Amino acid sequence: MSGAVWSYSENESVSNEVASAAADVAKGASAEPVVLEIGAVRAGVRAPGAKLLLKGPATSDVPPEVAAEAIAKASKQLQPAAILIGATRYGREIASRLAVKLTVGCLSEVSKLSADGNALAGERNAFAGKVVAKVSCALPAIATVKVGYYAAVESAGTAVTESDVGQVNPLVKVVSREKKAAGAVDLRSAKVIVSAGRGVKKKEDLPMLEELAREMHGALGCSRPLSSDLGWLPEEHHIGLTGVTVKPDLYLALGISGQLQHTAGMKDSKVVAAVNTDKDAPIFQASDYGIVGDLYQIVPAIRKALASRR
Amino acid sequence: MRIAVCVKHAVDETELKIDSGGKPLLSGATSRMSTFDKNAVEEGLRLKAAHQGEVVIFTVGPSDSKKTMKEALAMGADKGVLVTADTTSIDTMRTASLLAAAIKKAGPFDVVLCSEGSSDTYSGQVPPMLGEMLGAAFTGYARKLEVNGQTARVERSLEDSLEVVEAPLPVVASVVSEINEPRYPTLIQIMQAGKKPLEELNGDQLQPAGAYRQASVVSMSAQQSARKHVMIEGSPDEAAAKLVEALIREGVLSK
Repeated sequence: MSGAVWSYSENESVSNEVASAAADVAKGASAEPVVLEIGAVRAGVRAPGAKLLLKGPATSDVPPEVAAEAIAKASKQLQPAAILIGATRYGREIASRLAVKLTVGCLSEVSKLSADGNALAGERNAFAGKVVAKVSCALPAIATVKVGYYAAVESAGTAVTESDVGQVNPLVKVVSREKKAAGAVDLRSAKVIVSAGRGVKKKEDLPMLEELAREMHGALGCSRPLSSDLGWLPEEHHIGLTGVTVKPDLYLALGISGQLQHTAGMKDSKVVAAVNTDKDAPIFQASDYGIVGDLYQIVPAIRKALASRR
Repeated sequence: MRIAVCVKHAVDETELKIDSGGKPLLSGATSRMSTFDKNAVEEGLRLKAAHQGEVVIFTVGPSDSKKTMKEALAMGADKGVLVTADTTSIDTMRTASLLAAAIKKAGPFDVVLCSEGSSDTYSGQVPPMLGEMLGAAFTGYARKLEVNGQTARVERSLEDSLEVVEAPLPVVASVVSEINEPRYPTLIQIMQAGKKPLEELNGDQLQPAGAYRQASVVSMSAQQSARKHVMIEGSPDEAAAKLVEALIREGVLSK
């Protein structure tokens, strides 16, 4: 393999993760990892190695349609061997558009990336995490990189080269963008996650679990019904296939049955403990420690046990 | 208004069996409409109710996919187009190019809907690829979708923000499951679905494979789980105390 391995994410911390993936792919091959920036260099993008600034868009806050067009233009000119994009909601669109614009194959949601001869290789989950697939695509190739898998490596002050990609006029116009509700949690960085499921009978009972999460120095997550169907918690608390993927030190599942679409989002947790009234609930198959019981009795008991140790 | 909805006949992951060698038994596995696709069908029907017109279902897959298409027709879609292809060996770009070719052939359409991703592989790549290939505006992860005249107004649900965008028709959109509550077809609708037109096109004849190297699956194996499966017994107080003790011993809970 020769040429560069490009990495990009619109999200600064994900950008640092994807840069680590690009470094892995470039290692052992005669390739150079290059971090892409579009419009402007961002302070939070601190991966070591070269940066390539695509000039044209006025700011670094670019929608996916613009990012894809800018990267495609630069790519046609500079011919990178591989382009890695963080698998965020924006990132999946950027990578997919790029694949069509450049007519090259595109892997998705990949981790453990490497250069395998003349191909880009890696692993991904399938069937809601029941199966691991080894995947490959001949170079030049594109991949979306699973978020939360690679550790970011930070260093300051790297060389920036520039490439002018000109103006891009998107079909889709952004009318407004607002942060989701205040107090938004960052589940991906939480060491402990207390997670609530349908075993919680009413919204008014959630503060009890929030208290427990606080006492455990953790954050509160939930399964899909609580956020999407019932609307008791904002969507960013939703852990699962279509929500956030987490891997905390401790995942405490309270009243969660443990359907595959939920466990797909938490199966890489270091230790999993579960409380459920149904002894046959699938969550116990995905747990290290299980208590068959009513969370309304167990949660106060856990809080008491924690308090007695202080 | 003409509305295209793309659905996938996907292996039901909850029913998928693993053989003694740790390989998934995909041939003969039960398939059904990919979970989130019902929301895309529902949104198509909702648009039709508001604007008149028709809803056409598109699928790329084996002949067995007709089951999934009939389910969408029973929900209220008007007709279906099945592009036959061996979906176990084609990548997202090939799938998107077959859908695009079928949609162009049956077009023009004002709105093309997909779900955010399929329940089996969850790549989320086909919808934006379709947008590119059709030369249409694309917007992903819609949790609200309205069409006024020749403009679609979409609320996109992103990881940490909500974005409102406007796009000219034709528009390709992927929807998240919060967008609606899919309807259940009645028994009469299920019986009538069999009489609705369902066209079958051969994928290779419709659109020859493109001149690029497809992404491929090299091998698949069951996810290894090394959980301890320790069940803690006793009264709530006893069990809770034992759990807290175990978690401290594991080093995952600070005192």
